[in-house]
Amino acid sequence: MTALSSPTPATAPPWTCPFCSLHCDSLALRPQDDGSWALDGTDCPRALAGLAQVPSRAVTGTPLVNDRPATLDEALDAAAALLRGRQAPLVGGWATDILGARALFRLTAALGAVGDHAHGEALTTALRAQQDRGGYTTTLAEVRERADLVLCVGSQPSAHYPEFFRRCAAGEPVNGAPRRIVFLGAPVDAALPATITQSLPLAGDLFDTLSLLEALVAKRPVRNAPEALAALAQQLRDAHYPVLVVETGALPAHGALVIEAVARLVNLMNLTGRAAVISLGGSDGGYSAQQAHTWLSGLPLRTRFGPAGMDHDPVRHSTARLLGQQEADALVWVASITPEDAVPETAVPRVVFGHPALPVPTGDVVFIPVATPGIGAGGQLYRSDGTVIVPLHPVIDQALPALPAVVDGLLQRLKDAVRAPGRPKPDRIPPGDRSMYPSNEGHESP
Amino acid sequence: MTSYRITGGRVIDPANPSLPERRDLGVRDGRLVDLHPNEPVDETIDATGSVVMAGGIDLHTHIGGGKMNLARLLLPEDHRRGLEAAALPDNLLEVASCGSCAPGTLATGYRYVQMGYTSAFEPAMVASNARQAHLEMGDIPILDHGAYVMLGNDELFLRLLAEGADFERVRDYVGWTIHASKALGVKVVNPGGISAFKFNQRKLDVDEAHTHWQVTPRHIVHTLARAITELGLAHPLHIHASNLGVAGNIASTLATIEALGGLRAHLTHVQFHAYGTEGPMKFSSAAQQLAEAVNANKNVSIDVGQIMFGQTVTASGDTMRQIANAGHATPRKWNGGDIECDAGCGVVPFRYREQSYVNALQWAIGLELFLLVDDPWRIVLTTDHPNGGPFTSYPHLIRLLMDKSFRDEQLSKLHPDVAANAALKSMKRELTLQEIAIMTRAAPARLLGLADRGHLATGAAADIAVYREDANAEVMFTEPTHVFKDGVLVAQRGRIVAVPQPGVHFAKVDFDAGIERHLADRLRATSSIDLRNRVIGHDELCSCCNGGRLLPAECHAAFGATSA
Repeated sequence: MTALSSPTPATAPPWTCPFCSLHCDSLALRPQDDGSWALDGTDCPRALAGLAQVPSRAVTGTPLVNDRPATLDEALDAAAALLRGRQAPLVGGWATDILGARALFRLTAALGAVGDHAHGEALTTALRAQQDRGGYTTTLAEVRERADLVLCVGSQPSAHYPEFFRRCAAGEPVNGAPRRIVFLGAPVDAALPATITQSLPLAGDLFDTLSLLEALVAKRPVRNAPEALAALAQQLRDAHYPVLVVETGALPAHGALVIEAVARLVNLMNLTGRAAVISLGGSDGGYSAQQAHTWLSGLPLRTRFGPAGMDHDPVRHSTARLLGQQEADALVWVASITPEDAVPETAVPRVVFGHPALPVPTGDVVFIPVATPGIGAGGQLYRSDGTVIVPLHPVIDQALPALPAVVDGLLQRLKDAVRAPGRPKPDRIPPGDRSMYPSNEGHESP
Repeated sequence: MTSYRITGGRVIDPANPSLPERRDLGVRDGRLVDLHPNEPVDETIDATGSVVMAGGIDLHTHIGGGKMNLARLLLPEDHRRGLEAAALPDNLLEVASCGSCAPGTLATGYRYVQMGYTSAFEPAMVASNARQAHLEMGDIPILDHGAYVMLGNDELFLRLLAEGADFERVRDYVGWTIHASKALGVKVVNPGGISAFKFNQRKLDVDEAHTHWQVTPRHIVHTLARAITELGLAHPLHIHASNLGVAGNIASTLATIEALGGLRAHLTHVQFHAYGTEGPMKFSSAAQQLAEAVNANKNVSIDVGQIMFGQTVTASGDTMRQIANAGHATPRKWNGGDIECDAGCGVVPFRYREQSYVNALQWAIGLELFLLVDDPWRIVLTTDHPNGGPFTSYPHLIRLLMDKSFRDEQLSKLHPDVAANAALKSMKRELTLQEIAIMTRAAPARLLGLADRGHLATGAAADIAVYREDANAEVMFTEPTHVFKDGVLVAQRGRIVAVPQPGVHFAKVDFDAGIERHLADRLRATSSIDLRNRVIGHDELCSCCNGGRLLPAECHAAFGATSA
């Protein structure tokens, strides 16, 4: 990174960082002549790592069809040919913004496919807790203005979300009194003032610890309770607005039970006082995909639009399982935000819409590079608190198409194929093939 | 664009009483036009034996924004048929979408249009969640839409009041918020109460002070009503009053009306705010008292929020009241949230039961209100979807209102004390088609300032529903034979036949733009969104609604027109 060489014009929109779900949106980013970036407002390692992987000038992103360069049209034709007639396709990855997710939903429904995100396991952990219990949540501004006790459950948030504590002004007092930041089962963040932080060991595993803590907060009799945990329970009871931080991607197996335990604890505290949870997760467009899929269809990701109907199953319809058990016969993989969301290894044919630096596997693969949201494309992304959507402002022309346009091109080809002479008329399309017929674009009756 | 002539129908168009009921309607280029009898059209619709109305307008229905999506995520069981998967559409124009009390946005559009509705408005948009509301509404096909932004629980507004800031500053801040969130109106939910709950206050009466800011709901309501009046918004302040669902809350509802001091306001889902404390259960109908107040105060309009028996989900910004109801959650799970020093959110699934005394009485109270309010132009038919029941129950509700014998039959099935004693039992009024047309299209259009909607005069937008006349109003209103949206035939006998992209209504409000600079530090202090990202521009709005039409509504500012 080089220093700012000229002041940012007053009219320039701020830059929103797409590289983690905190989506810091008060930054300034400008391309440099050498292809690097000048970033002002943060030294966040995740932002810098994301920027290091995308040049600040137009890239010669060439679509590939079976390892050979192709034009965009040729690649879309090949993608349509590859997907046509598939019985059980999987639309995976979904690392895109909300506008991209809208387009991918239509593709998923049209293909009769299952949709699952690259971080589907972590999303599903949060989803299952939501489906079984619900919860009480809060957002960054509430934490900043009100939380006098921040309890990090099982992980150090700043390890994966480097700006988290700055965003909630953790080091600053709240209502004139210092905040307490407690790390349960995780080391303190050394960047915070030592006077306000504390690390507590788990009493058993995370599940045991939370059960014990709940009992202590409820003042149920607990034999041989660790003193530190009893003291934490007292702190939780005394605090005006304790906020529990849960990083869904860092939870152990059966992490939904941890989230449920946290929700129980917060509900208990809300009987007489106030408390809430803030969750960290949903990066790489995870929450955007989950939310858009849910509002459009009524059901979250991991739903199959199959002949039997809309079959939602958060366990059976995971990417790892569908590919591992050879239950998918084609894969559409979308990884437009970073090149880290690697295309899964699989024997089935793949269509990849990705970041220009995404490693492209060889073989039966159609690859179309797409613009990076927040760099070469605008759009919107959900923040980690799941409530706020931040707009993305493109900084350069990457000379790459945005994902929605590419998906629309593919949908159009699939539709044309269904309507082409020799194909059955719409009302006689066999049920298995019906979902190939995308709709909702027609403004006139057929 | 196809042109139509709709002939032979009974045109029920209460906004145009001077026009004959028996008349042909001409449709061209999205508008109602005068057609010479010999003028050729592309298609003639024979509406003999049918009633022709303007497209329905729902001015209070939770169709977009975070809480509905939380409800969808919370209730996968709402999206199945028992253990079976929800069916895919059998119509190639529809994209798969399901759910009943919390349907997907696509299903929301299809189901509304199949009933003859052509516009719907989200009443509880959180300013810091406005993008989601617009995105979700933009993904509702066919239905024009818009939203009311919530104010009166945001810390900045309360701080301004607490500090005794000049009214003009407060008014401009209200204007800025409408502009930033691209709202059509403003709603206040449990005035001050959502914020008070963040400070662990559990109850807030109209003249009770917020524990932290020391302002009262009375002050909040009056200030907002005055600001809306002076900013010239067509839709008056939309009020979800204090103490929702609490026995005896009629007192706070009447106090809220009084707090207006004659300023215009719309009190929403008043069924939930019309409870007395009489009888052995200390829970009684106060419909009579509320109806009298509405009849006497011409500045007030209402919608009912009728409850319907069966499973639904309640989704509200009123965290203070939702947490009090969370123990009744069916199934036993719920969501709450504190939002950005701005608002709150509570989602509690609920099943209204015929054999529950309280639920049965709520049902009766809603119907009593419909029958006791004299002026149909100030009462709108709603179930507060999904809080009282899903919007798909409207045809059933219309039959209850139009058919006393059917209503009595339903009443007799309820909790015996309610069946025996409800005032509803002695009410003989049956609403007419004219009155139903007012409550479901003409009045909401007028209350929202939609000059070219809700009626069928020449020049109006061609949003039209043609209903086959039937003695059973539920049958009649379930499935119009033809529905037109802006002149496009979009549904025929319950089948979607075209899916045009709808438009978004928002207020083009005039305020002192210097307010953003003046309040910049405070705006930053009460949000974690960069100030430069707070305003949703026209391009972004257009992208949210998938390129649908932007429908800005002019405001007629009347600065200084009201007294302090």
